[in-house]
Amino acid sequence: MRHNYGKIRVVLYGAGTFLVLLSLWQIAAMTSNSEIGFPTPVAVIGRFFHMLSNKVGSYTIWGHTLWSLSRVVIGYLLACVLGVVLGLTMGWFPYVKALFKPVFDLLRPIAPLAWIPLAILWFGIGEKYKYFLIFIAAFVPFTLNSYAGAVRVDRQLIGAARMLGASHSQVFFRIVVPSAVPSIFSGAQVALSNAWMTMLAAEMVRSSEGIGWLIIAGQGINDMTQMIAGMLAIGIVGFLLANGMRLLERRCLVWNNQGK
Amino acid sequence: MKKKSKLKFQIISIISLIAFFAIWQLLTDVYRVIPSTMLPSPVKVLQTIGMKWSVKKPDGSTLPQHILASLQVSGLGFCLGAVIGVPLGVIMAWWEKADLSLKPVFDFVRTIPPIAWIPIMIVLLGIGVVAKASIVFLSAFIPCVINSYTGIKATKTVHIWVAQTFGGSKTRTLFKVAIPTALPYIFTGLKVSLNSSWGALVAAEMLGSASGLGYMIQMGRLLSRADLIVVGMIVIGIIGTILSAFLDSLEKIVVKGEVR
Amino acid sequence: MEQSGKIGKEKLSCRGITKSFSSSSGNFEVLHDLTFDVYENEFLVLFGPGQCGKTTLLYMLAGLEECTEGEVFHNGEPVTGPAPSRAVVYQTMALFPWMTVWDNVSFSQKVRKAEKKVIAERTQYFIDLVGLTGFEKSYPVQLSGGMKQRVGIARAYCSDPDVLLMDEPFGHLDAQTRYMMQESLGKIWENEKRTIVFVTNNIEEALYLADRIILLSDCPSQIKKEYRITLPRPRSLVSPEFLKLRKEITEQMNMSD
Repeated sequence: MRHNYGKIRVVLYGAGTFLVLLSLWQIAAMTSNSEIGFPTPVAVIGRFFHMLSNKVGSYTIWGHTLWSLSRVVIGYLLACVLGVVLGLTMGWFPYVKALFKPVFDLLRPIAPLAWIPLAILWFGIGEKYKYFLIFIAAFVPFTLNSYAGAVRVDRQLIGAARMLGASHSQVFFRIVVPSAVPSIFSGAQVALSNAWMTMLAAEMVRSSEGIGWLIIAGQGINDMTQMIAGMLAIGIVGFLLANGMRLLERRCLVWNNQGK
Repeated sequence: MKKKSKLKFQIISIISLIAFFAIWQLLTDVYRVIPSTMLPSPVKVLQTIGMKWSVKKPDGSTLPQHILASLQVSGLGFCLGAVIGVPLGVIMAWWEKADLSLKPVFDFVRTIPPIAWIPIMIVLLGIGVVAKASIVFLSAFIPCVINSYTGIKATKTVHIWVAQTFGGSKTRTLFKVAIPTALPYIFTGLKVSLNSSWGALVAAEMLGSASGLGYMIQMGRLLSRADLIVVGMIVIGIIGTILSAFLDSLEKIVVKGEVR
Repeated sequence: MEQSGKIGKEKLSCRGITKSFSSSSGNFEVLHDLTFDVYENEFLVLFGPGQCGKTTLLYMLAGLEECTEGEVFHNGEPVTGPAPSRAVVYQTMALFPWMTVWDNVSFSQKVRKAEKKVIAERTQYFIDLVGLTGFEKSYPVQLSGGMKQRVGIARAYCSDPDVLLMDEPFGHLDAQTRYMMQESLGKIWENEKRTIVFVTNNIEEALYLADRIILLSDCPSQIKKEYRITLPRPRSLVSPEFLKLRKEITEQMNMSD
């Protein structure tokens, strides 16, 4: 079932609801007299733009975002490389699977955020602890999806490759790996949102910069405006990351998307 | 021939698991390569589980009390998220006006990870069940909406036409055709929700709480009691697995005969 | 039986092959004691009713399935597994979806690490031969069913096999495309003679393409009769001889043993 609404209606309705909700928020915040001082949307957006050029703590919001992003990128890339290698080899070589799958399955159910205290004990409160956590958060979906991709390879394609003269290792690199790519990409999406969230938690628990810090510092001084502006930044960057990933996927998987 | 090789791999798996625990024990208790403040030995972990079963020290509650506290909060949040999220997703997908007006707002809200809400909830609602449950609610709510929305949208137009030519009203068609189609998706959503809400709960308890498993591992870190942390992580993992298994079996009962 | 005059030497020889699958409800025999030869550059069609055993037989010739009893020989050597010298064209095409037409066709040459120039020439030659010139950079999803199967045929040809094994390659195509593909395959084969074993349950297709038809009975499949087809090529589907043969084979097929 696919609706075809027409662009103008989509924009009108979308903008309309946003406007209604924002004005409700504005009126509620202006008329409320609670002690917490809930900010108006106008104040939040004003603060957000203010933070673009003015420092909060030691950085502007750009600087904080870059810190957060750098942490995510390092942990994520490490998880990508190791997770994909482990997942694909587990899916194709029975010895690797027999050796690693039980231990992986043993550690997998532990939520990434539950590693926070242990990670701090192991690595201290510096950067390494954050890389480690983000790595854990992204590693599991990468491994799981690469594994599933390698296991679900069409047996007939393997037969066809063998009959065309491919050796065992050629079958792995030329057939198993590429046919697992769509599955790896869906793992990469999950891994990205996991990593982004875990970064936030890691920064909120212990850090001195980054968007997570921005929010938790707002809590420390009871500055709701800063907290909500920080959340806005989180939302915007998260949105851009997810869509960038989707774009990359569409680019890489031309052979899979067409005809749908 | 095939049975023999299967047995061989099972033996490798068992040896791998035994080696995992043996190396862990050797590195900790036997050779003391890793100090017990960083990683307790498996034996020590078992002892701590036995001890925490009835002793309140050093963090104020016994293990069953922590488990109960966590389960209560996550149960409350998860059920609310499902009860509100699933119908909302269905409504958004089925009625055009709801789709046009609510979907953009929802798409905006879901870019913000539930964890980012923790500080603001603590400021607004204080440290307590309500703040934690609202975090769990948010992290359960989002996947529920997305998956039931996708499920309803996946209903084949032909099936809807068939229902309509037999004189089914829009509401009847929804209940007789669209919702049964969406059921497998809804269950996927519930499973994702359960996972993410269980993880979010741990974060919420670490950042602001006085009870629960997340609180216990956070206290373990503050008191440098690595054994408490590891026990907490294991319990979190086990409960997460049990809850997922419960949903899996529920799915098997409910989604009988549905075509995926 | 000697009408066609020259028969090449034997390529594939089946000696008393039997295949049965064991399931919980007992043994199920699909092929019973088949003995026949396939000669060099011959177009042999295995024709029979229903779903019974033909594909399995082809896979046994390819080495993808093991014989329960009996043996298959290829150039005198026993067949023990799949080999590049016996290329299969699958009913489901089994193209590699992430590769372009060019990469699919050149796959066998690339895995053999042939010289770049040789790969390029060979690949282009077979792409041109099956009539896909201009579609080298397309992905399989962008092609129609008939074009996909052309890729499958080019891919099999390009691996330079001794024998081509075709498993109802046009089974999934619509009738119109099917006629076109039969005509194309006939022409391709005239240009590039190979030993082909072709499985089908369509009598027109069998008669249009075959040098020789082996008629198989229903489960468990046994050889019912052999026909040597000497109609001149390209064949007309409506010539009296064609229709006569068609009637004869159909009657034979429907006759109970």
